[in-house]
Amino acid sequence: MRIFEPHIHMTSRTTDDYQSMYAVGVRALVEPAFWLGQPRTSVGSFTDYFDSLIGWERFRAGQYGIRHHCTIALNPKEANDPRCAPVLDVLPRYLAKDGVVAVGEIGYDSMTPAEDEAFGRQLALAAEHGLPALVHTPHRDKLAGTRRTLDVVAESGLSPGRVLVDHLNELTVRPVAESGCWLGFSIYPDTKMDPDRMVALLREYGTDRVLVNSAADWGHSDPLNTFRTGQAMLAAGFTEDQVRTVLWDNPVAFYGQSGRLVLDELPGFSLAADTFAGNSVLRGGRAG
Amino acid sequence: MTFRLGYGTNGFADHRLADALSVIADLGYTAVALTLDHRHLDPYAPELAGQLPELAGRLDRLGLRVVVETGARYLLDPYRKHHPTLISDGREVRIDLLARAIRIAAELGADCVSFFSGSVPAGLAPEHAWQRLRAGVAELLPVADRAGVPLGLEPEPGMLVERLDDALRLRTELGEPSALGITLDVGHCVAVEPTSAPDCLRRAAGLLVNVQLDDMRPGVHEHLEFGAGELDLAGCLAALDEIGYTGVAAVELPRHSHAGPELAASSIAALRAALPWLVRAEQQVRQRPEAIASLFPAAGRQLGRASLAPATDPAGLIGGTADDQARIRLIGALAAAAPDRLAAELETLYRYGDDAERRGVLRALTALEPSTELVTVGLELVRDAVRSNDLRLLAAAVGEFAAGHLDQHGWRHAVLKCLFTGVPLAAVAGLHRRADAELARMVTGFAEERTAAGRSVPSDALALLDRLDRLERKVA
Repeated sequence: MRIFEPHIHMTSRTTDDYQSMYAVGVRALVEPAFWLGQPRTSVGSFTDYFDSLIGWERFRAGQYGIRHHCTIALNPKEANDPRCAPVLDVLPRYLAKDGVVAVGEIGYDSMTPAEDEAFGRQLALAAEHGLPALVHTPHRDKLAGTRRTLDVVAESGLSPGRVLVDHLNELTVRPVAESGCWLGFSIYPDTKMDPDRMVALLREYGTDRVLVNSAADWGHSDPLNTFRTGQAMLAAGFTEDQVRTVLWDNPVAFYGQSGRLVLDELPGFSLAADTFAGNSVLRGGRAG
Repeated sequence: MTFRLGYGTNGFADHRLADALSVIADLGYTAVALTLDHRHLDPYAPELAGQLPELAGRLDRLGLRVVVETGARYLLDPYRKHHPTLISDGREVRIDLLARAIRIAAELGADCVSFFSGSVPAGLAPEHAWQRLRAGVAELLPVADRAGVPLGLEPEPGMLVERLDDALRLRTELGEPSALGITLDVGHCVAVEPTSAPDCLRRAAGLLVNVQLDDMRPGVHEHLEFGAGELDLAGCLAALDEIGYTGVAAVELPRHSHAGPELAASSIAALRAALPWLVRAEQQVRQRPEAIASLFPAAGRQLGRASLAPATDPAGLIGGTADDQARIRLIGALAAAAPDRLAAELETLYRYGDDAERRGVLRALTALEPSTELVTVGLELVRDAVRSNDLRLLAAAVGEFAAGHLDQHGWRHAVLKCLFTGVPLAAVAGLHRRADAELARMVTGFAEERTAAGRSVPSDALALLDRLDRLERKVA
């Protein structure tokens, strides 16, 4: 099974996770920019994070044979903090970088005017930079938040085919499916979706425009849940082609709209004795 | 620096000159090919002297570079098109017109004056025609020399000088004078040349003073809009970029004045679509310097990241990479467009840059005018790069800029770090100029430490020590 993990926060994960993911077939991933659990206090904190997403984390993933891409944005939660909102002005610098394949995560947390402003501006940035948009749907008041999200997307002029609406469930899937946007489902150990419920939704809605992710981060989450969903699909009678559609072809088609995916296999990654900015991740240093 | 796209005023014959220039500039052209004609800057008009400074000011305000063309149809003879020529009876009239054109070009600050040879008149032997042509051009060369405006001889289908080879032969016979360049119409190349238009441009490379752009079909001398003939437009623009042409390349559609503005608009759209990415990016930076923020990161995606010398320098540590080279050019465009903001923008590009962008900034420092501000910022960036342990960043930091400006202590430590991390010393500019006894002492210590640890000493280090040692003995 070859897997494109379309949503995972590797910054919060260990090298063991990279190894386990590679072992089950993950060869490429997208790490969306989000909040850190601990609130940020300045724009500088964002730029250090973005630099890490386009540099260090990309290098780290490469050492384990996984192609790393990212999305860049001001997340909805921190859009409400006046110390953080000015990061909107430096986003264009980052949206032009190699490895940046979408604007995201954007959308709503508590549906405040500040979130409206950040969401609208970032949808416009996506159009301007020729990038698709990854939209997070809120944890609370989810159905209303999802409907409002779709209204804002419709008004933005960005075509629904360039928008992925994420963290959907049985209650929010229908309006998104009808909108023409791509549908993202996060498979979590306890909350959001689980592999069996996901299989039931795939039966009902089919595999078109559906992406499955682990959304693993610093909370209780599991980077192998994407793989487990693939297994659950096979156990439920889906074909290998259908599994490939959901776990590889769909994320490649969606993020491929950026023109910036790099998917060829990393050459001899497991033996790479390289260093990043002088940091010898593989201990022992260079020969000679 | 790259070439400038322009439009010929002979495609706006039904417009007042001032209006034509405004439309051309509004559409985004940055140059104009000005055909002197009875309606456009009549070279015989009594009020010409007063018109010239005004026109020069207008061109300057509109940001239009200019070349002067002399292909007006009925300027000299109301009955016979293009008459008299340099080889017909009355050729002194043509010589006088061209001399006037040269003086006008000088006053306008034009790049050149383009001219054609003329058709061989009935009854005149071709060798006599050739002698007349050569004599006429020879008479004009000192005028062009004095004015500092080169002539551009344009091969024209059906005329004595019909192909590039004819023009080159005349140049050779005249002793390859610097005041005689070549004007090439790429449409004419399609119509009459044995090789492709891009090949003709490459052959004319160092001699090109003016280029005319239009489509054409083989064997038919009819100026067509882009796409209507068989011209490889993208290939021509890529060839101009490749040969480093920095002059004017202007659309030549003299039979389309009835729809001048429409053709000028559709032509620039076709040109933009056909431009090599880097050329277009340079134009965007010149027009809107802040565009560099999104173009600079895209260079690797557009042009690749290969070493410029893959066989001898696979990682591009010594000579850099394709994306480095593109970024150096983008910064060159920025330096020309916004010199006062250059140092600050370089710092921003570096600070927000990924590793490849940082290397591009460092490698660009060498080619820039070293103003106090630029040197201050450049040194900060070089010191930042030297602090890192990233081989490629370090290699990009120890170029000519560091050799010229980094303090001796900092420079020695940069060299030592190259040895330590495995950057070949061939990447260090000015090594032999700046290496001194203190560096020898440091490198000796490094070699001793390596030997004590049972590790090999890089051959670069040994070679450097050997050289410094011999120098010292020579001094002693």
